[in-house]
Amino acid sequence: MDKQDTELTLKTENLEIELLITAIREKTGYDLSGYAKASIKRRIKQLVVDENVIHISDLIAKLLHSPQSESHFINSLTVNVSELFRHPLSFLQLRESVLPYLASFPRRDVWVAGCSTGEEAYSMAILLEEVGLLKNTQIHATDINTDVLKQAKTGVLSKALNKGDAARYQASGGTASLSNYFSTAYNKNKLSQFLLDHISFSHHNILQDQVFCSAQLVLCRNVMIYFDIETQCHALTLFNNSLVQNGYLVIGEKESLINTPFSGFLKTIDEPAKIYQRKSLDNV
Amino acid sequence: MSNFSVFIGGSAGSIAPLITILSRLPANFSPSITLVIHSNEDSKNAMTEVIANNCPLTVIEVRDKGQLKSNSIHIAPSGYHLYVETKQHFSLSTDRKIHFSRPSIDVLFTSAAEVFKEHCIAILLSGANEDGAAGLLDIKKHGGLTIAQSPASAQVDIMPQTAIDKGAAAKVLSPNEITRLLIQFNDLG
Repeated sequence: MDKQDTELTLKTENLEIELLITAIREKTGYDLSGYAKASIKRRIKQLVVDENVIHISDLIAKLLHSPQSESHFINSLTVNVSELFRHPLSFLQLRESVLPYLASFPRRDVWVAGCSTGEEAYSMAILLEEVGLLKNTQIHATDINTDVLKQAKTGVLSKALNKGDAARYQASGGTASLSNYFSTAYNKNKLSQFLLDHISFSHHNILQDQVFCSAQLVLCRNVMIYFDIETQCHALTLFNNSLVQNGYLVIGEKESLINTPFSGFLKTIDEPAKIYQRKSLDNV
Repeated sequence: MSNFSVFIGGSAGSIAPLITILSRLPANFSPSITLVIHSNEDSKNAMTEVIANNCPLTVIEVRDKGQLKSNSIHIAPSGYHLYVETKQHFSLSTDRKIHFSRPSIDVLFTSAAEVFKEHCIAILLSGANEDGAAGLLDIKKHGGLTIAQSPASAQVDIMPQTAIDKGAAAKVLSPNEITRLLIQFNDLG
């Protein structure tokens, strides 16, 4: 009996989640149906707790009847975790193997897809400055979440610089002092304006929007883990199409192309660093 | 491949019982095994190595959308929650910590319960926090077999004791008894 109740509860919850996702799509235009089921379910259940309601379906009423809940729901159900020089090995390999090649282009576009609070784009700007390539480079940082974009645009770090940041910067091949790139006031660190000037922040939805720009380098790290396999393939198609011939794609440390058809389309440059390259047309 | 899948969680004091259990499982142990063991940043690689060096099964640190394989031990990477997405594959996330932990045992157990239902065997070992108890209860509610390490045999008994107090543990066993039970399950197919 107890087990039957549990199964019924599970079925009801899953139905409520489907209805909520449909309601979000119809009300806001955001389609979350391609998100990995298990993790979005946990975030939805957390939202039930945070919103102080009883059932998942209660969220549908909130969404429909209180205007401010629209963006709040989208922002709560998408994940925003970032840090400076996350996965240092990858930045080190970019510095040593990829950026020297990008130097051969007269100007460069870098797309940071799913930029969260901006740390990834800031790190990229510092790296490009250190190898002398920032001058003719535009970094396009995009995210689905309007709250984090607002934060990212300010250049102010969401957490004050700490030893971990410095250690990751050094492991990324940095030899200066990381704090040189930030101004500090009231215990807040703000990215220097000359670096921030090379980054544009824009709203973009990887699942529903078109290619954002043509780029020599696309970074999309720890974003695709939130998508189901089919949606990952959609995202990878988008990134592949945005890359110039021989352009580079960088994904998250624990992400993998192995479960997608793209292990054939993209050439592995460095598997531990998660750097791949779009094959030139004559090789396809 | 066995219908059953084994999920193990542990924290402080769980490496020794874990090695006791895993080192005695035969190479033909068919159910997939998945571990969430809390560890600090410094010891994360050491743990995978210690386990690989001490047991005959293949040890895999899970990648996003990685597959569940029989005759294998899957380990959650440090800093990521590990979810059972379907019977065939996992997913990872960097969602907020649960019980100060990422990976969290509750995340693994609850997602496993919903996918594997009565075909889960879950084991909660020694530890100093309450992670795992709620997930273990979910597995029990879905008809899976739930085991807590006996508090007397645990270096730190808070974690298994919390599960026992919540009524989440169908069996309370020492590491040696857990090993025997798992081998029996394997022999039954």
